[in-house]
Amino acid sequence: MDKNPYDVLGVSSSASAAEIQKAYRKLAKKLHPDLNPGDKAAEEKFKEAAGAYDLLGDADKRKRFDNGEIDATGAERPQHHFYRDYADAGDSHAYTSGAGFADFMDSDDAFADLLRRGQRARANRRGEDLHYRLPIAFVESISGATKRITLPDGGALEVKIPPGLVDGQILRLKGQGAPGAGKGGPGDALIEVEVMPDRRFTRDGDNILLEVPISLTEAVLGGQIRVPTPTGDVTMAVPKGSNTGTTLRLRGKGAPRRGGSAGDELVKLTIVLPKSPDPELEAFVENWAKGKEFDPREGTL
Amino acid sequence: MTLTKQEFLISSGLRVQTLEFWLEQRWLLPTEAASGAQFSDADMARARLIRDLKSDLGVNDEGIDVILHLIDQLHGVRQAFALMRNALDDD
Repeated sequence: MDKNPYDVLGVSSSASAAEIQKAYRKLAKKLHPDLNPGDKAAEEKFKEAAGAYDLLGDADKRKRFDNGEIDATGAERPQHHFYRDYADAGDSHAYTSGAGFADFMDSDDAFADLLRRGQRARANRRGEDLHYRLPIAFVESISGATKRITLPDGGALEVKIPPGLVDGQILRLKGQGAPGAGKGGPGDALIEVEVMPDRRFTRDGDNILLEVPISLTEAVLGGQIRVPTPTGDVTMAVPKGSNTGTTLRLRGKGAPRRGGSAGDELVKLTIVLPKSPDPELEAFVENWAKGKEFDPREGTL
Repeated sequence: MTLTKQEFLISSGLRVQTLEFWLEQRWLLPTEAASGAQFSDADMARARLIRDLKSDLGVNDEGIDVILHLIDQLHGVRQAFALMRNALDDD
């Protein structure tokens, strides 16, 4: 405290002990933080006045101050919390009284309703929702799965993944969040599901896209090939004369929809030639007159 | 943090008779546990307020009663305000 304690209390240096006490009381009645619960600035001013009074209200300390033996620094009172800090934090249940506004709550308007709702909410506060992230495989997102999340407290949550779930979807487990107060009940566990990318499948709405390589023979002559779906391999007919980019539809092999139906799996074919050049194939193509007449870029470039 | 009656007396510097009188007046309402009264930090701050009112501000016992009653109502209103603000935020 740098200010002259006499100035702080507003008394002259020749003031009597009674005058000093009177001056301090007058200030303290106005400035005591517990008598001004909403006035944050009151606290600093009150501390200043209380510090000044600690010095001047004590005859011995005052004499030493007047003689210049001690100065006003260090005269502040030690830091402590005022009652208002606990009351505002809600730590004063035993004392706090609603008598000051009980009549407002008896009426039948929106204001009273808000007050009543607020009081109920306080007494029966619902627990907080807790958020988790859960990565799952692509296949699990299509066919569904049961996963376990290990909680920070060592517990575990069992999460049922519904079939057809999409990346970023949030699952709500009712009552698996933080505990509430009173009749508030616990909050929910909110689980954001992250679908990991799959090297074979991609998703487009309810449909699943898949690229499947086929041989030249299969493309030209057609045939049966095995293709993967999220629920296991199936046999599919490649029609004669299929091309790169030809897309075949496996009905109902896509993501399940609400109501029991499902999207399709769309299989896009890609013709792949044998890895090493084949003299027989080269000889055939060399002698294949129609192949030379066909220009696939005709009209496109 | 909670304190027993003995710890509260030491920590607050109150005399036994003074604390007994304050408890009798219900100015302080510690939690009653099987092991005896439990005083909270809020009780300690409230005791400091009563002491400030009595010694610094020269309030007599009747005055303390009135002031505490009004302060408790004031905090009730403040909490109702805070709750309404939350209720409005939630909507």
